[in-house]
Amino acid sequence: MTNYKGYITLFLVPTIALFMLVYAVSIVILFGTSFTEWSTGLKPAFVGFRNFIDMFAKDTSFKEGFWNTAVWVLLQSTVHVLIGLVFAIILNMKEFYWKFARTVFMFPNIISGAAVGMLFLCMLNPNFGAVNSIVRLFGDSEYAQNWFMDYATAFMSVTMTWLPYAAVVTILILAEIAAIPDSLFESARIDGASELKINLFIVIPMLRNIIGTCVILAGTSMLQKMDIIMMTTGGGPGNTTLNLPMYIYKTAMMDNNFGYSNAVGVFLIGFGIVFVLLVRYLFRIGSSST
Amino acid sequence: MQQTIGYLEGEVKVNKTFFKTGSAIAGTVVLLASVTACGSNSSSGGSASSSDSPPAASSASATASTQASEQTAAKAPVKIKYLTYRVGTHASAKLEAEQIKQFNAKYGKEVEVQVEEIPSDSAYEDKIKILAASGDIPDVVMGKNGINDILIKGNLATPFNDYLSQDAEWAKEIGDEALAANTRDGKVWSISDQKQTVGYFYNKDMFDKAGIKPAQTWDEFMSNNEKLKAAGFVPLALMTGENAWTTNLILASIVGTSGDAGNKFMNTLHPSDFNTPEMIDALGKVKTMLEKYTTKDALGAGYANAANSFCQGKAAIIANGPWMIGDFSDTTKCAAGFDQKVGIAAFPGNGMISSYEVGYMNGGKTQETRDAAEKFIRFKTGLEGQRIALEFGNVVPVSDQVQPSEELKQKYPLLVESIEVGNQSQVHYGSFDSIVYPNVTDAWKLLYPELVFGKSSAEEIAKKLSEIAAKNK
Repeated sequence: MTNYKGYITLFLVPTIALFMLVYAVSIVILFGTSFTEWSTGLKPAFVGFRNFIDMFAKDTSFKEGFWNTAVWVLLQSTVHVLIGLVFAIILNMKEFYWKFARTVFMFPNIISGAAVGMLFLCMLNPNFGAVNSIVRLFGDSEYAQNWFMDYATAFMSVTMTWLPYAAVVTILILAEIAAIPDSLFESARIDGASELKINLFIVIPMLRNIIGTCVILAGTSMLQKMDIIMMTTGGGPGNTTLNLPMYIYKTAMMDNNFGYSNAVGVFLIGFGIVFVLLVRYLFRIGSSST
Repeated sequence: MQQTIGYLEGEVKVNKTFFKTGSAIAGTVVLLASVTACGSNSSSGGSASSSDSPPAASSASATASTQASEQTAAKAPVKIKYLTYRVGTHASAKLEAEQIKQFNAKYGKEVEVQVEEIPSDSAYEDKIKILAASGDIPDVVMGKNGINDILIKGNLATPFNDYLSQDAEWAKEIGDEALAANTRDGKVWSISDQKQTVGYFYNKDMFDKAGIKPAQTWDEFMSNNEKLKAAGFVPLALMTGENAWTTNLILASIVGTSGDAGNKFMNTLHPSDFNTPEMIDALGKVKTMLEKYTTKDALGAGYANAANSFCQGKAAIIANGPWMIGDFSDTTKCAAGFDQKVGIAAFPGNGMISSYEVGYMNGGKTQETRDAAEKFIRFKTGLEGQRIALEFGNVVPVSDQVQPSEELKQKYPLLVESIEVGNQSQVHYGSFDSIVYPNVTDAWKLLYPELVFGKSSAEEIAKKLSEIAAKNK
């Protein structure tokens, strides 16, 4: 047993060392400099909570960015996960198409965010985009909706670049369904339960842990989402599609205001931690399904 | 037999234990070694830099250009890092490749330029800013879009004064105006590699069919747009995505030709107050252009969309510099013979954007790399480099000593015309990209939709621009 402890320590050392170098140091610097006024070329100057006070008291762009981020987190952790769950349950029926459908559903997830952004930018182009061209085919020859820049459609257009593509959720849930003992399904069928009832009252309740995990994965992915926004709208029109990662980027790289940017970063980390804890509590992740 | 098996089992156990221990140690050592290797690599770079005094504070001793080649050949070439975004389909990719090729042929034994290609202008700017934050910039840096301010503030660049005072010939090749454009408090922080002279290109066929000529006033310009539209053409190839380049060239020209105050504004570095009558009037005019006289995808479109609209004969006018001239005869971008249809004009009020690029900065950390970087920059910005830029990229040189060759004149008559139009123009001013803070440049793509969709008036946009400029640190 003593030997195993030695191995455990030995194997943990590189991981801890890497974590300390890559994450821990960065997080400490992030927290430390969030209380400073700091721009490239100047030394950080301590300003106390001024950055945080300005964020909430004066900065409308921050508030708009936070609101959009929160809405996207909510949509991704509900609608996106629901789509993945429904798709998994359909695929689990193992009809003739299930392997093909699973593979096709995965395609958008294996393309890089920047490429997806470019793809949608072309598809939704007012002049030559596929969507407008189809509408023109069915009547309105002058139809030229600017999907990404019109205030009425920009948020929805950006949302549609990621919301429906829930293949990762589907795969995780499919794996969990495969782990449910066949005897449970057989017993239910013998008792006369329909497929719908089996899914509603046996399968879904037993997926609580993995659904909770998927909610965390999907929700937190919105706390990092920047590539597609950068490629399509840049946060516009106005601040209609601005989220906090994009705002952090702009504050640091365009305003050259690293101290303030890091304060927003600290807030984003805090928001993420609260979200994860809330989901863990709601789904009782880690506790037994039975 | 059982004993033998037991013995073998024991041996296997011993071997397993040995294997486990060995692999655990080996794995740990490999991981730690990789981490340590990373650390030592960067720290060695750091020690090299820290051994020298800060660049701006140190006295830069220029290496004489006539240094004995035998001596330098005997030494290993000095390695310098150079990041470039002029790659791939970039308009200046050819000239960049040719300059580096010719520099290597001439000075390759003395200086080894380690080129890192960055796929876009914005990615380049981001990368340099991040490197600047960690104090680890390349030896040669393009100071565009606010990078120069950051390097100067951070004491990360070496001014060229000493180099220039020891090489009067080079200073002459660049010219006083270009040097003055990049001088602050008496220090020459960067060397310009090109002059921006920007008017607009127009489709002569479309102009003929609409019965118009290049406008002399902005009222006539708007009237021309109406006539082009009436003739069934889209008048302007505008775009508001990226840095809103083609749109802002027109905006800058309306402001720059509006009188003394507007012209002074467009010749001011880092303007802080955009809430001026000239700016508000210009924003109003551009709003009309975006609403009525441009392509349907102009809001949010990138430069490529606008360029395509013009090259494919879908729009009659595009504001842009002479570096675009090569595209007109490139059949992968424009229809064959399109170059014959294109004319060039100064903006109404006989105005042209005329400014010097920020150019190259010396970010060398040791005296050796500073000297090597200076040699590379001197080549790129001297007569030889300017000539290559003109021949391979239709770039207007900073020196009058560099003139287009007969071959180039025959190949690109529009280039000669553009130089003539530039010489005849009387009102000169900078582009917005060259005068405003980077966060203002980044804001246009968000503000133009606000203006066009009526979420903000021209006055409110002007006020917002002032607020954004004030945010810059």
